[in-house]
Amino acid sequence: MKSLKKNKSKVLEKDPYRHFSSIDGRHPFQKKVPNGFVKYPARKRHGGKVAFFNFEFAKEMGLIPQEHPHELTGALTEIILATFSIQIINEWDLENKTSIREEDKLPYEYMATRYLQMQHPNKQGKTSGDGRSIWNGMVKHQGRLWDISSCGTGATCLSPATIKYKKYFQSGDPTISYGCGYSEIDEGLATLFMSEVFHRNHMKTERVLALIEFPKGLSINIRAHENLLRPSHIFRFLKQDNYQGLKKIVDYYIDRQVAGGIWKDVPVQDYRRYDYFLTQFNQTFANLTAKMESEYIFCWLDWDGDNILMDGGIIDYGSVRQFGLFHEEYRYDDIDRYSTSIKEQKDKAKYTVQTFIQIVDYLKTKKKKNIKMFKNDRLLKKFNEIFAEEKLKNLLSKIGFSHKYVLFLLKNYLPQAEEFQRQFTYFERAKALRGMKKVPDGINWDAIFCMRDILRVFPQLILSRSKLLKNSEFIDILKSNYAKKEDLVLTAYRKRKISAFQKAYIKLVEIVAKFDKISQDKVLLELSMRSGIINKFDRVTGDSITNVVDKLKNLKPKLSAEELSDILVEFREYQNLDPDRKRVKITKTERQKKIFNGMLKIVREYREGL
Amino acid sequence: MKLVLYSGGHEDENFELDSALIKLTHIRRPKITYIPSCYYGSEEYYEEFVRHYQGFNITKFYYFPIDIPYSDVLLEEAFKSHIIHLSGGNTYYFLKNLRRKKLLRRLREFVQKGGILTGLSAGAILMCPTIHTAGFPSFDRDENEENIKNLNALKLVNFDFFPHYKNSNRYDLALKDYTEKTKIPLYAMPDGSGIIIDRNFLKFSGRSYCFFRGQKMPIKGLRQNLQFL
Repeated sequence: MKSLKKNKSKVLEKDPYRHFSSIDGRHPFQKKVPNGFVKYPARKRHGGKVAFFNFEFAKEMGLIPQEHPHELTGALTEIILATFSIQIINEWDLENKTSIREEDKLPYEYMATRYLQMQHPNKQGKTSGDGRSIWNGMVKHQGRLWDISSCGTGATCLSPATIKYKKYFQSGDPTISYGCGYSEIDEGLATLFMSEVFHRNHMKTERVLALIEFPKGLSINIRAHENLLRPSHIFRFLKQDNYQGLKKIVDYYIDRQVAGGIWKDVPVQDYRRYDYFLTQFNQTFANLTAKMESEYIFCWLDWDGDNILMDGGIIDYGSVRQFGLFHEEYRYDDIDRYSTSIKEQKDKAKYTVQTFIQIVDYLKTKKKKNIKMFKNDRLLKKFNEIFAEEKLKNLLSKIGFSHKYVLFLLKNYLPQAEEFQRQFTYFERAKALRGMKKVPDGINWDAIFCMRDILRVFPQLILSRSKLLKNSEFIDILKSNYAKKEDLVLTAYRKRKISAFQKAYIKLVEIVAKFDKISQDKVLLELSMRSGIINKFDRVTGDSITNVVDKLKNLKPKLSAEELSDILVEFREYQNLDPDRKRVKITKTERQKKIFNGMLKIVREYREGL
Repeated sequence: MKLVLYSGGHEDENFELDSALIKLTHIRRPKITYIPSCYYGSEEYYEEFVRHYQGFNITKFYYFPIDIPYSDVLLEEAFKSHIIHLSGGNTYYFLKNLRRKKLLRRLREFVQKGGILTGLSAGAILMCPTIHTAGFPSFDRDENEENIKNLNALKLVNFDFFPHYKNSNRYDLALKDYTEKTKIPLYAMPDGSGIIIDRNFLKFSGRSYCFFRGQKMPIKGLRQNLQFL
């Protein structure tokens, strides 16, 4: 027996990519939630090349061994293409008897999941869901589970175009753009860069595992996350009054969180399990929206529970942005409607929680009540409390206080912390006098002050001169490029606010110095070093990512997958704003250095934008 | 004029130079401005710098990157310190930004008014008449990615400075070759060595070598009057 085992392990060592073979379309969701998807046979799609592979992420998922070099070997390229370079055989193919070679047909079917989408005419999710994506499968590694999904694998019947024109479309049909089922490499690259930056900064998000590029800028963008279920997957069953379906999908979600090692203390009884589920969801969404508001992350949350994952992970980066300033009035123009704004995200998230309160009540009582009946639920009050506390915690962290001091201030000096927050918020929310204006993809009313700048510089100046800033100096540091002369007038009220801001800040420094029996200078020095990283001058924005991707896309010669991977790591590490972090350093080639410097210039140019 | 030129190396290797620097200030708690050669990635070096000089009881530090936009408030504050430190990095990039922001003149004025200027590697080279020594030997040089033509620097001293020197033939060949064509001495300093200038007096710290008219001469603990250099 011993020798047999040895032989087996040797065989396994020889196939470092064996885990790819389990990614073949099969997924536990198919058995657990039979009404939750549309199944498609699939075939190989030829002509693609691997434009990017996320080596680190693949190691985390157990797809390649830890010791694998960050190099696309022939065998690795082959297995990536064999696993992910696929296209569904859709209704159009069947109607038109598209000829497909036998050897190109794949053994298992892939699912396009069904979920609610407000842009669809059917508001019960009967026709909506993954319009150009399929789920490739699930992998398990070291007690963790990952769902893998690919975008750009062909047009499904759940695409808005199918419903609008009442016909099926050929995958890649150039007449229909979004509904054609294909995706583009720039979408993949934008998702890649933004999601890796978010991930590095402790935001939950889907991550890009690989990009497969095809001629004419088309691509298959492969993303993965520990659980790709969205609220909208669940809401669909609620809207259809489908109790059994609803129970199955909620149970699936809970079981999956347990199986993936994310939830460890879930009660056994249904009744309590659902309460646990609800409490977790409420906590997650309150934290998430507070974080997004604090970091100026715009994510179009709405009643349909789309554009976000159940565990608060960010998905579908098409409309996700990170602003440089608190552009609270920005709205994305989605042709027939405007999006929500960043300040409305909280209420939308709260409404999502309210919907889950309704769902859990339905699951417990088997009677679906009107959602309005839950508007005063105690959980929503809890949501407000968590949100408020998180916002304050985030602000204290942004000042540069370490976790220990943040908790101390929140516990013992809440009024003083809130006083600083009040003064901070006044400047953060100040807007240009000229009012609302059109921007390339929507509307905005420009914020005029860069709060990151004052947080970065203020402790240094106070440390250096041991006295408060003059009003004009304060405004000089704070003003952004959006501010015109008329926006910066030093009214009596504004002067009072400048004074109050500085005094409230110093008060917090005094408290911490006294608490730790250290000098105020020492506190200020620590704050200056930490906030220098947290409030980095050149923090990435949505605009800068769009322009960085344009630059990368047009490079000649094109970047190899390995070069892109190195540049991504360098970029992500530079955008790591955690002062307690260790940076991974990459040795760059001369070409990579030049490219990276160009990217840095773009980030600096757009640092205050949308 | 008070200057300290550091070659480089670990913090503990530079203890003698640091002690000399503290003596130069004649102030119990001097304030230091740290100017990085490049904003990118400088936060970590700044933190190391702070941690190191905190060991010398310095408590007031001011971080002033020059290759990102800054307001006049920040600029003026930078020059109120007792010591300004120019960090290491790419000498060409550093010079380009100092010139573009018109800081070469400000730094000279700072020194003339009694401020102490220190520089490490690239920062030390910048105190010389030119930054030619950043461009050779071919196996150990900064890339002139900015394609700077005007290599004139602060001209605070009348010698060239060569940091990270290694006592080997291939370095010597390059330095001899260079000094055959120049009229001023070149001081080549291994990591941990440096030069302290206090008014008209110059002191070498650590192993030091002078290259002049194609010849190499070792220096040890020599204190010289600058007028004779």
